[in-house]
Amino acid sequence: MSTSTTVEYDRPPAYDWLTPSPREQVGWDVDVLYGPWPRHHRDASLAEVHRRLDRSPVCGALALSTRGPLFDDRAGNEETLRDLADCPELLPVGTVDVRDAMTAEDRLDELAAAGVRFLRLFTVEQAADPGFPGYRRVVDLALARGMVLLHDGDPRRYGPPLMDRGADVVFLDLHAYLLADFLLMAREEPGFRVTTRMLSGPDSVERVVHAVGARHLVFGSRTPFMDISPLTLRLRYADISDDERDAIATRNIEELLS
Amino acid sequence: MPIIDVHAHVGRWQFHLTCGDADENLRLMDRYGIDLQLVSASEAVVYDAVAGNAALTKELASRPRLYGYAVVNPNRIEESSADLRRCLDSGRFVGAKIHTHYPGRLPGSREMAEAFDVVAEAGVPLLLHTWGREVSQLPDMVAARPGLRVVMGHAGGDAWREAAHAAASCEGLYLEHCRTAADAGRIAYAREAGVPVERMLFGTDATLIDPCWSLGVLRDAGFTPAELDRVLWRNAAELFGLEVPA
Repeated sequence: MSTSTTVEYDRPPAYDWLTPSPREQVGWDVDVLYGPWPRHHRDASLAEVHRRLDRSPVCGALALSTRGPLFDDRAGNEETLRDLADCPELLPVGTVDVRDAMTAEDRLDELAAAGVRFLRLFTVEQAADPGFPGYRRVVDLALARGMVLLHDGDPRRYGPPLMDRGADVVFLDLHAYLLADFLLMAREEPGFRVTTRMLSGPDSVERVVHAVGARHLVFGSRTPFMDISPLTLRLRYADISDDERDAIATRNIEELLS
Repeated sequence: MPIIDVHAHVGRWQFHLTCGDADENLRLMDRYGIDLQLVSASEAVVYDAVAGNAALTKELASRPRLYGYAVVNPNRIEESSADLRRCLDSGRFVGAKIHTHYPGRLPGSREMAEAFDVVAEAGVPLLLHTWGREVSQLPDMVAARPGLRVVMGHAGGDAWREAAHAAASCEGLYLEHCRTAADAGRIAYAREAGVPVERMLFGTDATLIDPCWSLGVLRDAGFTPAELDRVLWRNAAELFGLEVPA
């Protein structure tokens, strides 16, 4: 069927990657959810999320209940605030349903009153295009309140309308294939950031750091629906400085929180 | 312990990525302790199968840790059939690779059935790009060609549930889970569906994707050391007839 051969070379210590190292330590994961999700074959409770984070190198996370984006934004925000009130390692993220933007102002005022700084938009699940009136209304109201947008969807579509507005935006769904388009925007937008979740190329993280700086990258895993280790390993082996790694893993989000 | 990567590429891609000659593959292999890598030429996958396979033959000649897949284009089956034989005769190719997206042919098409016939006749394993629910047609396609072994590259992609059930129902199907979006629970789901660990393989999609992506998925899958031994290299060594350093 095939040829066989014996290969001789200096093999490095195998399976180093199997054990987490201090270089995988993450202060804040910006992309964590809990609760039912009909498209998945199993739901993920908050307890399950805690369990996964506890056995990972991730110390803290920005999280929210799936009730908000999938069913009821007001009840979902209340649930997130209630569930996370006693666990400082999980900071609550709010959301507003862009399909019902007539109520967005009330939702955002409730979130602001509760001290919530991050607003997550689910334009994929809520089928909202960047030109839809409801989406535009929600974005206008959130930016007027100085909120940081955690934004799903294709940054090539949602990024351009957010430029020249002084917006702090974290794009959650940037694939390595789309990196050049993001870098073109990030050159002009200091507030545009992207998570490492799908920057899977051998040099994607390095390209962001070298082209526009580590301040444009944050760690985001989408736990519990995605595996964590690919992302922490990518940080561990990235050809960047320890200071840049710390910024991506922790400091950039702490600056947004301050 | 050894590692064999059964899904990798040599060459450039059309994205903002550093991809180059096969030395880049070796650099990444050294970083993660990967001993052997089975590669197809990106040029052969996305552009010109015959020209890409020829260029890869030259790259393999001086790099014994790399083995080739000859890319078969289902749209040019006579040309690809002859080219597959040429590649295998070089002694540096151990299988065939068929993509679905670039040639625009899916399982269920007449062209893909003919391509399967060509690979079955050659008697080598097939690495098939799988992405979508048409993977459910693979058990019948494999059963109709005794002896054919198909590695489901990306394990179905977004159709990983369907891919798991397809593999569970057919001994000629293997799962290989490399993918950028690392959906949690894919491997556990496949095991619960009945796919034995003996038909799970390690692949990376390097140098399109950094190998740590797939290594991380394996770390989170919670395999025992004996299972890891199978998935990381032993299954591949048996399927492709490869030997690795002790």
